[in-house]
Amino acid sequence: MSQYYGRLLLLAIMVAFPWLVPHPYYQHLMILVLMWVAIGSGWNLISGYTGQVLFGAAAFFGLGAYTAALLAEKLEISAWWGLPLGGILAALFAFPFGWICFRLRGPYFALATLALNEIMRYIATSWESLTDGMVGILVMQTFISKIPYYYIALAIAAGSILAVELLVRSRLGYYFVSIREDQDAAESMGINTLYYKMVSLTISAAMMGLAGALYTNYMGFVDPNVVFALHDISIMAILVGIVGGVATVYGPAVGGFIMVALSELFRSGFFGGLAGLGKATGWPFMATVTKYVSQAHVLSFGILVILVILYLPNGIVGDWDVLKRALLFRKRQAS
Amino acid sequence: MEVFLQTLVAGILKGGLYALIGMGMTLIMGVMGIINLAHGQMMMVAMYVTYVLFHYMGIDPYYALVVSVPSLFLLGIVIQKYLLNPLMKVESILPENQVLMTVGIGMVLTEIMRFIFTSNYVSVRTSYSSSAWLAGGISFSVALCIAFVIAVALTIGLFWFLIKTDLGRSIRAVAQDGEAAQLMGINAGKIKVITMGLGAGLVAAAGTLLLPIYYLFPDIGGPFTRRAFVITILGGLGSTVGAIFGGLTLGLAEAFGATYIGMEYEDMIGLIIFMLVLLFLPAGFKGLTKV
Amino acid sequence: MKKTANWLAIIVASTLICGGLAFAAEPIKVGVVLPLTGAQAKFGEIEKNSFLMALEAFNKAGGVNGRPIELLIEDDTGKPDVGRSAVEKLISQDKVIFLTGGYSSEVTYAICQMAQQRKIPFLVTTGSADNITEKGWDYVFRISPPVSEYPKALLSFLKEVVQPKTVAILYENSLFGQSGSKTFTKDCESAGYKILVKEGYEHGAVDFKPILVKVKAAKPDLIYMISYVMDAGLLMRQSKELDLNPKLFVGGAAGFTLPEFVQNAGEAAENVFSATLWVPNLPYPGAKEYFDNYKAKFKIPTEYHGAEAYASMQVVADVLKRAKELTPAGVREALVATDTKTVFGPVKFISYGKKKQQNELPTYLVQWQKGALETVWPKNVTTKPYVYPVPPWKK
Repeated sequence: MSQYYGRLLLLAIMVAFPWLVPHPYYQHLMILVLMWVAIGSGWNLISGYTGQVLFGAAAFFGLGAYTAALLAEKLEISAWWGLPLGGILAALFAFPFGWICFRLRGPYFALATLALNEIMRYIATSWESLTDGMVGILVMQTFISKIPYYYIALAIAAGSILAVELLVRSRLGYYFVSIREDQDAAESMGINTLYYKMVSLTISAAMMGLAGALYTNYMGFVDPNVVFALHDISIMAILVGIVGGVATVYGPAVGGFIMVALSELFRSGFFGGLAGLGKATGWPFMATVTKYVSQAHVLSFGILVILVILYLPNGIVGDWDVLKRALLFRKRQAS
Repeated sequence: MEVFLQTLVAGILKGGLYALIGMGMTLIMGVMGIINLAHGQMMMVAMYVTYVLFHYMGIDPYYALVVSVPSLFLLGIVIQKYLLNPLMKVESILPENQVLMTVGIGMVLTEIMRFIFTSNYVSVRTSYSSSAWLAGGISFSVALCIAFVIAVALTIGLFWFLIKTDLGRSIRAVAQDGEAAQLMGINAGKIKVITMGLGAGLVAAAGTLLLPIYYLFPDIGGPFTRRAFVITILGGLGSTVGAIFGGLTLGLAEAFGATYIGMEYEDMIGLIIFMLVLLFLPAGFKGLTKV
Repeated sequence: MKKTANWLAIIVASTLICGGLAFAAEPIKVGVVLPLTGAQAKFGEIEKNSFLMALEAFNKAGGVNGRPIELLIEDDTGKPDVGRSAVEKLISQDKVIFLTGGYSSEVTYAICQMAQQRKIPFLVTTGSADNITEKGWDYVFRISPPVSEYPKALLSFLKEVVQPKTVAILYENSLFGQSGSKTFTKDCESAGYKILVKEGYEHGAVDFKPILVKVKAAKPDLIYMISYVMDAGLLMRQSKELDLNPKLFVGGAAGFTLPEFVQNAGEAAENVFSATLWVPNLPYPGAKEYFDNYKAKFKIPTEYHGAEAYASMQVVADVLKRAKELTPAGVREALVATDTKTVFGPVKFISYGKKKQQNELPTYLVQWQKGALETVWPKNVTTKPYVYPVPPWKK
């Protein structure tokens, strides 16, 4: 029962967030967090639970993003239709994607997804008559305030987490995990592994496509290097998943929060705190410190990945007890 | 005709370097089963070592090989010993941890280099950087030719090492069947460490040879990692001979694709070949022969 | 407990000090978005330094009625979405009334839309894609020429001196390259030059020989390249290796005018022309001093991006002085009425063709002669006469 209270409390806080923190800047960051929660949940479903590690998440995200953008630009319908349509298109794309990639296992599957991701990016760059190439597509935003976007993002993120939770508890989830644990054994038990892998990928793709369409509506600008980005989207999705916790329902939520917070923390020099400190103290080296700190965010990601894989391989949520023990142990030593 | 021949020459010469890059990765893949997604980044580090030696000490890149290869060999050993070998004991849900770890390592290497050298482009200009032999209207870049020759020499050296020496044979044994090799008394952990070092050393050589005719900045690693695994898959897991053919094939495909289809598609060609091979010829060239 | 008390004291003291400082002469906050990290960091650095140089000079001279201007410089890391986050912070947290900067076309384009929507005037410093001032955004103003106008001097040189019949265009597959190649194609077609080869390439290629050999076989009179510096260096080196001898090589600015280009290309840079937006010997007030001061202070030479940034700061200062009220709307009104002289040239925002609120300036043609960049066209600003016809590589 206490689980439900915890989650209700979390939901309540999230719903009340825009009123608790009326700053558009932090609301903006939260919207990014929620977007990553959705992407991460999608990734987690196919990679964490079904064991097919996806390195090309951006292929689906970008597809959703471009669907919304093209609807607005070429057909002049509101980009909000991109949300359902982007999700559906991404899910449909899962079929050829899976058909190509699922005949491969483990690292080969991963590489194949990476290759497909890059191919999507090239197509978006070169097919100028459709996508305007590197010019990108601008979409006028519907709302000036962030608050409507926040609630839509919250709905999508909450929906993703709920979907994952329901799936994991269902028969489907059972099949997914058995495929991950031992695909051949599952096959020999009569489970149609290809079918279930496809189901998992389709749902994941839909979540990522939805997040992509949200991105278009909120950010208002898409171009191939932004939405099909290998590093900024695909690898980031993996990081969100593994730092938070693979194969845990709330892992992506934790992961999304940490990754966005870390990245903005570094980029802005601790939210302008370092610059402020520099001004208040007048220490000249603060300028260089600020400069290096803002460059350090990718380095921090890399180090985080290494540490998490070595010591917390199941992520913060997955290895919570290990983490707890490590923190408590240190505290006990200090006093 | 001239266009065709020039493209052919460009493809072969480039292919030689690519083969060197691919050989390192295929060794690592064959022996440890790891896809080293930090391969290109290791090459980048080697290139910075070469740059520093040239810029601050005036040492020609070809002599710098003597420093860059062993340093990357050491780096590879350290990475394998402290970051990758321990992973075998870590209990995790996802078996792909090693690949992800190399992603993290690649990021850290890139950022450390950016920290030291900033994102600026740097290059090394030697007396032979721009010279070329012109024969019958076909230009042969001197630096690329020398690189090709050295690559061939290194390849021969590698083969001799793998076939004739005990250590080389142990490596091949572990590649063939790790458990059986261990039963035979081979210290698989040590072999893996050495193999990573070897792989890193090979790609370091490729980087050093490439620097005089290209340029350097911290993000240069990514595209080369991508080419490395295309070559590895093309050639077949663990097959060094395959990597040679894979490298040449990719070099030629890129060159011909650039000339006859369009240079904007150069990178995509490699990717499409990659997908096709993965789908239709998963064992690569190796599967076609008995090597 | 004692530790906490200490920290508390420090925090309180800092806040009081900050508050005190704030009341002194409250600065006017202007936001600047530049790529301070990432692949374009070098240009971001030059622009930042130039902005700060001009800022210091202006504040020393009294600022805006005694109030200094404060530049809040944010890093866009070269990515459009990060640029938007940065602008978000500047607008909602820092409450700036005026934005400037914008280096990469993609980032600038994405930021402009935001500025327009939030009604904060944005003075574009560098971002050169044409569409930035073609969208009818009335809060966007651009001081630098759009990429379609970069070849103005080149085109007049071609018309009067070279009169080529055939052209080959090579461009990198970015917004800058794609839009530049499109507009140059149109220029060639209206001038009656036939385009034999037109190809894009992905930035970072190792070997351009396949495409250069195709160009060689086509035997064009002019080869026009839109590239960033490292690709430019390789293109020239490999052209020399191939003994590719058109009547002339021309670069479309960006990569071909930097010192790195001649460092990288060496002899292969000899006699290469390039379009550029600014040279230090132009008869604009303060241009030469700016060039000399920058070199003295930062030890490396500046170039047209730096001049654009310095001039942007000059315009910002001028606008804030004239603004009837220090609000975004007031700033915009003052911007519209701008008519001033800067190190980059005269600045007046007019509308012509499809463009709105665009500053119109001439461009120049430079040529590398013996390792130095000389201004060769138009005739009234040259430092050395042009070298044409260009001797072949085997000279």
